[in-house]
Amino acid sequence: MKQSFAIETKNLTKKFGAFTALSDLNLKIESGAIHGLLGPNGAGKTTAIKILCGLLKPSSGEAYIFDKKVPDRSILPQIGYMPQETALYLELSVHHNLALYGELYGMPRSKIAEREKELLHFIALEKWRNEPVSNLSGGMKHRVSLACSMIHEPKLLFLDEPTVGVDPELRASFWEYFNELKQKGITIVLTTHYMDEAQHCDRIGLLRLGKLIAEGTPGEITAQTNTTNLEDAFLALSRQEAKA
Amino acid sequence: MNIRRAFSVTKRIFLGLRNDKRTIGLMFIAPIIAMFVFGLAFSGDVKNVNVVVVNQDEGYQIPSSPAPISISNRIISNFDTSVLKVDYVDTEAEGVKRVQEGGAYGLIIFPAHFSSDIYAKLQNPSLPLGSTIQVRLDKSNVNVANAITKAVSDALLKTIKDIGNAAPVTVDADNAIYGKDAKFMDFFVPGIMAFVVFLLTTLLTLISFVGERTSGNLERLQATPLRASEIVIGYAIAFSIIGMLQTAVLLTIGVLVFNIMIVGNIFLAFLVIALLAIVSLSLGILLSSLAKREAQAIQFFPLIILPTFLLAGIFWPVEAIPSWLRPLSYAIPPSYAVDATRSVMLRGWGAGGIWVDLVALFGFAVAFLALAVWSLQRGRG
Repeated sequence: MKQSFAIETKNLTKKFGAFTALSDLNLKIESGAIHGLLGPNGAGKTTAIKILCGLLKPSSGEAYIFDKKVPDRSILPQIGYMPQETALYLELSVHHNLALYGELYGMPRSKIAEREKELLHFIALEKWRNEPVSNLSGGMKHRVSLACSMIHEPKLLFLDEPTVGVDPELRASFWEYFNELKQKGITIVLTTHYMDEAQHCDRIGLLRLGKLIAEGTPGEITAQTNTTNLEDAFLALSRQEAKA
Repeated sequence: MNIRRAFSVTKRIFLGLRNDKRTIGLMFIAPIIAMFVFGLAFSGDVKNVNVVVVNQDEGYQIPSSPAPISISNRIISNFDTSVLKVDYVDTEAEGVKRVQEGGAYGLIIFPAHFSSDIYAKLQNPSLPLGSTIQVRLDKSNVNVANAITKAVSDALLKTIKDIGNAAPVTVDADNAIYGKDAKFMDFFVPGIMAFVVFLLTTLLTLISFVGERTSGNLERLQATPLRASEIVIGYAIAFSIIGMLQTAVLLTIGVLVFNIMIVGNIFLAFLVIALLAIVSLSLGILLSSLAKREAQAIQFFPLIILPTFLLAGIFWPVEAIPSWLRPLSYAIPPSYAVDATRSVMLRGWGAGGIWVDLVALFGFAVAFLALAVWSLQRGRG
């Protein structure tokens, strides 16, 4: 029987003019896993996520989410997307930002209120509910942004650099929460350039200059390169790639 | 197309405005200031122009009259004193010097024997030309020069009538078909309404959409079930309401302060302005796709402001624009809105009278909305 993946890409390629941002990406992500896309800036992590969310069209290759070929509008209600930028309406309160996304997903008002309460508790911003987002610190905005992408309880979450600018304590609580979501069967795809953080992922894909240079569990990747941590593993793989 | 999602976009715009006092100020205070500044500065009537008079006329002694009768003095007394501020000098040279020094815009010379020559001509029409008032002008300012010439001609006609020698032919322009007693402000308010709504709606959507793009909000929205058409419709609802509110403010001031004339159905004027607002916001969204940052968006401002200012018939009629340039007037949407609101407010025309404008605006609205939606979808390159 054919195994069903949350995400599957086949030779996914994206070119911007002469520049290749993503080259022949072949990736399979199981449902209910936390999958990290790692790599330095310009590695193609964000491009991959944007194609999967339907924000960019691939130049060639294919991508499937829940067995549906993207872009497909019917997938959108099942996915949540947190962009790298703050992407919030600064002049609106935290509550109104959350409510807006709730409405766009067609949630009833009572459900929005319920989810808002849960999420505000999770991001520890209950007291800031009615404050315009412009009055919040960078880290707080980041937390609101994460909450906005989860208001509709998506089955698949794309988080582009979710922990940038978040203090260590809160980062730890983020990871606790991601694991809770995983227990509920939610698939999370996140990008990060903090190699140490990627240890928390079930599997990771290392990207360099638009190419996937390694894929596996963190343990598999360090073993494969005879290194003790992912940072060294990445450097070793990069050198191999450069030679080849 | 899900109208509830479009309404969520509309609601977001109004909620954002509630916390953005500066933009509210721009939306409502700026039009009021524009109306006062333009309205008062461009009132169209030239007033208090300094002129000097050289009167060499000795008058004419009628046997039955104790003192000589001076027709020149009668003409001078008939000058419209709100237009001309008269001072006297003795010689033409002195008068010319005054104009050269900038103390006056014109010199009005009544020659010697002015009155007696006129009487001679009246007595004996077969005589060659009777008498001439020489008006020497500083024509560096055409409007002022024309106002002086007109004031002198008006005074002359009035005087001739007074002395019982009305011209055999007169022109009566008092029985107007439309706009009887219309002042410049009556002509101007419909124009400034369209101008303000077009300008502010285009610029605000342009800036606000560039913000949507650079902040990442647009991408986040596009990853939700919200469609590009719903975003555009949500904006259209919000900005047509704002456009109508701006119109209401301007009309209220127009009526209360400037006592403007509204003959026709004012709701038709509102409909026209709402259509124009939709055209404008679509244009703003379209232009926003060409700008990567706010600073780039600002470069579009002159491109939007100048053609509208010069070609839409706001300050002067489209007929005053050289004929080779007129097709450009017809290519910019505010021209139709100005024409339509003016026809409704001053001529009292109904939808039947302005159908060409309505069709043009509707066409622009549909085309620009479609292009705006296309530009958003194309963004997913």
